[in-house]
Amino acid sequence: MPSLLLEIGCEELPASACYEAEAQLPALCLEHFGREPDELFIGPRRLAVLVRDLPARTEPVWVKGPPEAVRDRAAVGFARRHGVDPHQLEVRDGFLGIELPGQDLRDALPERLDAIVDGLAFSRTMRWDDSGLRFPRPVRWVLAKLDAETVRGDHSFGHRFTQGRIEIPSAEEYVETLRAASVEPDAAARRAQIVDTLPEGWSDPNGVLDEVVHLVESPIVLVGRFDERFLELPRRVIEAPMQKDQRYFPLGGPGFAVVVNGGDPDVVLAGHQRVLENRLEDAAFTFERDLRVGIDELANRLRAITFFAGAGTYADKAERLVRLVERLGGGEATLEAARLAKADQASELVREFPELEGHIGAEYARLAGYPEAVCAAIDEQYLPDAGGGPLPTTEAGRVLSAADKIDNLTTAFGLGQRPSGSRDPYALRRAAIGLCRLATEGGLAIPRGLLDDEVREFVEERYEGLLELPIEFLRAARASSVAELGQVAELARALAALDDPTLDRLHTAYSRADRLAGKSEGEAGAAVDPGLLLETTEVELARAVEGVGAEVQGALERGDPRTALERATALGAPVDRFFDDVLVMAEDAAVRANRLRLLLDVRDTLRLVGDFAQLQR
Amino acid sequence: MTASLNYQDMIRTLEGYWAERGCVLMQPYHTEVGAGTLNPATFLRCLGAKPWRTAYVEPSIRPSDGRYGENPFRFQQFWQYQVIIKPAPEDVLDEYWQSLEAIGIDLTRHDMRLVEDDWEAPIIGAWGLGWEVWLDGTEVTQWTYFQQLATLDVELVPAEITYGLDRLAMAVQGKRTAFELEWAPGVTWGEVFRENERQWSVYNYEEAPVETLLRRFDEYESECQQLLDKRLPLAAYDQVLKLSHAFNLLEARGAIGVTERAARIARIRNLARRVAQVYLELEAEDVAEPAA
Repeated sequence: MPSLLLEIGCEELPASACYEAEAQLPALCLEHFGREPDELFIGPRRLAVLVRDLPARTEPVWVKGPPEAVRDRAAVGFARRHGVDPHQLEVRDGFLGIELPGQDLRDALPERLDAIVDGLAFSRTMRWDDSGLRFPRPVRWVLAKLDAETVRGDHSFGHRFTQGRIEIPSAEEYVETLRAASVEPDAAARRAQIVDTLPEGWSDPNGVLDEVVHLVESPIVLVGRFDERFLELPRRVIEAPMQKDQRYFPLGGPGFAVVVNGGDPDVVLAGHQRVLENRLEDAAFTFERDLRVGIDELANRLRAITFFAGAGTYADKAERLVRLVERLGGGEATLEAARLAKADQASELVREFPELEGHIGAEYARLAGYPEAVCAAIDEQYLPDAGGGPLPTTEAGRVLSAADKIDNLTTAFGLGQRPSGSRDPYALRRAAIGLCRLATEGGLAIPRGLLDDEVREFVEERYEGLLELPIEFLRAARASSVAELGQVAELARALAALDDPTLDRLHTAYSRADRLAGKSEGEAGAAVDPGLLLETTEVELARAVEGVGAEVQGALERGDPRTALERATALGAPVDRFFDDVLVMAEDAAVRANRLRLLLDVRDTLRLVGDFAQLQR
Repeated sequence: MTASLNYQDMIRTLEGYWAERGCVLMQPYHTEVGAGTLNPATFLRCLGAKPWRTAYVEPSIRPSDGRYGENPFRFQQFWQYQVIIKPAPEDVLDEYWQSLEAIGIDLTRHDMRLVEDDWEAPIIGAWGLGWEVWLDGTEVTQWTYFQQLATLDVELVPAEITYGLDRLAMAVQGKRTAFELEWAPGVTWGEVFRENERQWSVYNYEEAPVETLLRRFDEYESECQQLLDKRLPLAAYDQVLKLSHAFNLLEARGAIGVTERAARIARIRNLARRVAQVYLELEAEDVAEPAA
């Protein structure tokens, strides 16, 4: 059975488009050829598939029509649309329909090839002529071969500059023909060639390899050196232009590797070396200009830079950070770091390389002689910068990072910029997750009172995805009176660790007390009157509530939600006995009011360690 | 490579090359522009359905890029060679590669790359897709297939080829800095332009009169509106250019905050769109360019 090759020839596609096509082509082939491709060739100048063992005829296709129930009204129209007589329609699963016979592969191909080219969906497309086709860059040729027979187009192209137009003898000879024409069409093979020939010690801090694989058709790794005087620059200032502008791989010291697409290695390397040195010269120039201004003056200039429309300047933000750091209990170094944290937003280097923010501020602070603790905190303020990324390693860094995230969240929410659905342009979810992790993994005390209600809800909801616990425990814990963010997680874990009988008992105690007394709150006394307690179990419960209540409060004030919960469980037994022995709705109004108050006290004491109504029992 | 072309010969070669390919050779525009794209020979002629090919040098003025002539890679005035091919034929890239060969670049000896670069110019409501063209890692050309101008979809998709002459010359001449480039026999780029960079950087960053520029901004805007009311889009467009340059100077003076920046860009863009609309209306009536 024949092999089919389809090649879509393009002007150089962006790497992102290559990955989009790679993800979609298997399903498109399955849909239109009935099978996934055996080989996928993805690169900047061509997207190709090779499908082996195609059946000579395509599968019959069942075209589903209207329900049989409406045959009278709908059959004629449906049959006419498909060029058959109404009486030829069949019924399957209660629907009319028609089975279109399989076609000879050659007859079916043109339409199906078009369907694949048209079926690719890209996030950014353009038009280039009046064909109506949209693609990430112009499509310049399409070639399809069924074994040795050309069914679309008539040629392909080799390497853009060293080879011209080439003939592909047959579908199966596609790869070897292209390789002979200095093109490696297989992205995985190009990646392997690159990785295998990069010298020992290469690094890719910004992750440009995925793009580089699709910047070349014929990868050659060249190793160059830049002038050692640039090594006086901070490492990140060297790496930013190297990676971001030039897509080079740092080799440590003055070494770099570049993946080129051809040319005379000596000529090419000399050029790349020159451009890198020019970039470094430019970065050094900018770095020195910033240094001459100095971090303190940069901080002064923040007055002229808007942080967020409606939320003042970066100088205003720095003042808010200082206040937040105070409330988070930050020390001298952290306060200093907060004052200087955003200074690098006024630097020329950050304007050019935004990914240097924080790092370069730390460098400028270091060169101005600030203590290392201050510099480290500035450096780490944006961590964690990915959901699961590392946290700041210093205490000052954690405090500053938390303050920054609280301010971002509070500011954005205050301006109505709450994330909705997948729209989260200010990465507020990431900030909220970072805050949760700083509280739990980082052990940072973040008072819940620092967060506005809406922000607190949003932040604490993140624990639902972060902790591997049934959500009910989190919901219960979030409704407790624990004072700090991390304690919400701690309490939720403690709740989840309770055995079922204990949970049942607390749940029952809480809900019965709430059910009975909650709706008669108006009738309840202002406080429990010991003189009106008649039954023994009643007296016992009142004593338990008083004792346990104080212990729970005490434990919460000490920041120990585990003990608080453990103490609260002591209410289970006396509440049980109370309900067994005592009639709450006593005839005597004063006694009744007293018992209702007692139950409300039970409920409110339990509530200190969680909303037990959230537990599904 | 044989003896490399000096700067002016490189320009003359490009002029000859594109003239032979049917381009109308234009001259730099008489009003400051931030890029050759703003020259009416590109911005206005790329609107509508009339084919158009042009090529010209454009000294592009970007006040915030000035470095007082101290930095050999950043200038407040740099030289572009601008080519417009409308509509772009199928082999338009090949025409470009051959132009590089014409100025002495052996494409098989160099590492030539097309690196994704999506271009947009919010101030004139324009965007397109294309590349930076790399020659051994140096960006020597910005290549764009326009998709929208003045927020309107283009009718015929033009290819815009913008050579960065300074960088291209550095690659062709193998020079480390623009200052060392040979402009003409025995005359360097630095001799011709370095002092120019110093003086204009002082003006752009220190002396440009903020209050006056703010006042002029309003004046240019109202004059533009009046000219549009009189249906004189070519004259109105010059006011858009003056607005754009005043805006760039105000930015260099640090006189525009972020919010205000967006608002001023929107004011210019709205006028650019109206200019484009009136230009197209007149073209439809066939009076915009009697000579065309």
